[in-house]
Amino acid sequence: MAQDAIAVEELVYTYGDLVAVDHIGFKVAEGEILGFLGPNGAGKTTTVKMLTGQLKPKGGKAHVLGMDVARDAGKVRGEIGVCFEQTNLYEQMSALENLELFARLFGISSFDGQALLKRVGLAGREKDKVEGYSKGMKQRLMVARSLVNRPRILFLDEPTAGLDPASAEAIRAVILEERQRGATVFLTTHDMMEADKLSDRVAFMDKGKIVALDTPHNLKQQYGKRALKAKVQTPSGELQDREVVLDQPETPDLIQKLFAGEKVVTIHSEEATLEDIFIKITGRGLKE
Amino acid sequence: MNPRGIRALVAKDFTLFFRNRFFALVTSLALVVYVILYFVMPGSVDETLEIGLYAPGWSAIPADMQKEGLEIHVAESLEDLEDGVTAHDYMAGIAIPGDLMEKLASGQRPQVDLYFASDTPEEAQAAVSSLIRELIYAQTGQPLAVDFSTQVLPGPDMVGKQIPPRDRMRPLFAVLLIVFETYGLATLITEEIEHRTIQALLVTPVSVKDLFAAKGITGITLAFGQGALFMAVVGGLNDQPVIIILALLLAALLVTGIGFLIASLAKDMMSVLAWGVLALVILVIPGMGVMFPGVITGWAKAIPSYYVVDTVDRVANYGSGWPDIWQNLLILVAFSVAFLLVGMVALRRRFQ
Repeated sequence: MAQDAIAVEELVYTYGDLVAVDHIGFKVAEGEILGFLGPNGAGKTTTVKMLTGQLKPKGGKAHVLGMDVARDAGKVRGEIGVCFEQTNLYEQMSALENLELFARLFGISSFDGQALLKRVGLAGREKDKVEGYSKGMKQRLMVARSLVNRPRILFLDEPTAGLDPASAEAIRAVILEERQRGATVFLTTHDMMEADKLSDRVAFMDKGKIVALDTPHNLKQQYGKRALKAKVQTPSGELQDREVVLDQPETPDLIQKLFAGEKVVTIHSEEATLEDIFIKITGRGLKE
Repeated sequence: MNPRGIRALVAKDFTLFFRNRFFALVTSLALVVYVILYFVMPGSVDETLEIGLYAPGWSAIPADMQKEGLEIHVAESLEDLEDGVTAHDYMAGIAIPGDLMEKLASGQRPQVDLYFASDTPEEAQAAVSSLIRELIYAQTGQPLAVDFSTQVLPGPDMVGKQIPPRDRMRPLFAVLLIVFETYGLATLITEEIEHRTIQALLVTPVSVKDLFAAKGITGITLAFGQGALFMAVVGGLNDQPVIIILALLLAALLVTGIGFLIASLAKDMMSVLAWGVLALVILVIPGMGVMFPGVITGWAKAIPSYYVVDTVDRVANYGSGWPDIWQNLLILVAFSVAFLLVGMVALRRRFQ
């Protein structure tokens, strides 16, 4: 059985009277991709800051690769890679210089920056100053920087937010490659499709607490409903929508009735989305 | 501590500093301009005091009045005398009445008129008045029945110790070069905070202590390097180089602490500029005191840079040694350590 890459128990963080993270607990196995979802202000960033040694927990325990994040923050940081949501690169330096700087900070003596830049699609622009890069290029460089030390755990905060489809797809490909290499990925995102597509499990966080944690499939099974959506034409020629909820005892009869009685123009199956499930659990949307 | 990390951060800071066109230009230009200014300024002191004299009853200037360092120009008329003063041909004009001796002999109080240009400093007027009283006393054998107000100029007695203007400027230039780095360092740190690159650094094995060490090394090297280079080029390290270097090093430590403090107070680059200019103006004030003795008085001792300026001035210009300036250095150490500690505590809070 895979060892836990991250183990969190009763973790707490407060800003004055505000409880940002309220006694949360979860585990992430090595090599797993965990999607960490929740609206703004839910406590996701504070949780990530504690796991990456930027904030000291005010209660509970958090272990990363078996190391206590409060006691061994320096060692933890040597084993992880972090990609921030907001661009924070040295814009007066080139992409290669940015990567080489971080390689030196990680104490890596033989570092092939060119290869890493090629991997994220920035070959040929490695000597240009970052200030001239597009948002997508900067984001790809941020991802490359988080990979400089071949991290065992990769923390990615909205890695594809606001990117064009090609850049977003390039970054998703790198995330899957990293998982293939054996890295654990802690993916914070608002993009439900992305979380659904990439994550082995997803955790929903709301008001400082984890309100659900499971595979996307199980969450959909537990909280969502599958349905057939059809567009039918009435004898008067009018188009109307019909919905048949699946997995119910009466479902076969309803489907039969649909095809027998009306002229079906289009039909497709529909699954609950993670967004639907989050709304069902918390009563509010992810982007609130 | 992580020496490799600190080295990498210092190298990065220097790269960014010199890629900032403003800092690269100002740093190199200031150094060059101050060195040029130093060499084009007079290297010797003209101690001759030129005075105009209108004395209608006197056939010749008494030889006693043509003392060494005092040059008397005889005016043909009162109008000539006034023109000479207005045109700055001489510092002061004296109009002695033709019946001076007779009035004195008869016990009357003759009137001696003194003329100064409107921009002649009050201190210079008082000094010239005293000099004239002495000269006339020497001629007539009795005190002149004219009241002169006498003012004592503050500051050390420089009689016989006048130094060329360019050497006077040395401490001011050195302090200007060093103090500017307060702004440079504060900008480097504020940029890191504003652009959130500090966040990226703090998820690597680099600790906050390593960051402080790196910023400290950068600040001290930039400030001290320029100050020491300037002093070396202009011959300021010829006497007691160890004391001067120590004073410059402590000054660099001081501006690094102030740079940390400004970075912790500043919300953005504009506020760095505002705080930086304020610090620059305050820290340069003691340098003005060396250039213009008497302009500032004891209150300047509350400004930490006073002890840098005073040490450099006394050692480089007047040959002072350890026994004369050890107190200065001690106070400077106290100021530097205090500012560095306060700056680090304040900045640490900002980082978090």
